[in-house]
Amino acid sequence: MSYKTLVPGPITQELIYSRLVMLAGNTDCGGHSVFIGQVRADVKGAKRVKAIEYSAYENMVEAEAGKIKGSILSEFNDVQSIDILHSRGVVMAGEASLFVLVSAGHRRHAIDACSRAVEMIKESLPVWKKEIFEDNNSEWKENNLA
Amino acid sequence: MEIQVLFFGVLAEVTQTAFKHYRGVTSFGYLKMRVGDDFPEIAHYNFRIAVNNELINEDPVLKDGDEIAYMPPFAGG
Repeated sequence: MSYKTLVPGPITQELIYSRLVMLAGNTDCGGHSVFIGQVRADVKGAKRVKAIEYSAYENMVEAEAGKIKGSILSEFNDVQSIDILHSRGVVMAGEASLFVLVSAGHRRHAIDACSRAVEMIKESLPVWKKEIFEDNNSEWKENNLA
Repeated sequence: MEIQVLFFGVLAEVTQTAFKHYRGVTSFGYLKMRVGDDFPEIAHYNFRIAVNNELINEDPVLKDGDEIAYMPPFAGG
């Protein structure tokens, strides 16, 4: 079963839970690795971030997410599945905007593949973010890929 | 050819445009020139171009109905 990658608004605890419960009863996997990306209340000078507004090229997000999943499955042969969710729209500081779940036979591939997937998402998913400050001013933000 | 041009991120904001339809497009170079004329403000920004959801490294051969996206550096994750 495949789901859309983009989720309107924050990735809620209920949504995360609904993805995690799907793992129950899988007797082929020895490890699951999860990354949850969250909006941080960064302070820039006198301004504090209160939210991020995400926009995306939706069709290309689905295409690129598919390529990332295919690349992970072929690079890490012990990985059995990978799930990626990314917010679009406004996500408040403290709320989740990215969810990556990798299941593998053994922990090494689960952990390494999850880490690799997060880096690939940051490099190649056509998503943009605008920081919204507490004074309601906003500023476009680029990724730090270092 | 009829081509759909999409703008994203800061480019959508400065052009005040999410998409624009172009008719009578003869080549990619011609399209870029028309987009540059219609939206000179984009020249101040870094961006990459995708054709039908694929980033391009060189000028593509366009066909009728193609979708061209002007995209600032990605900021996902």
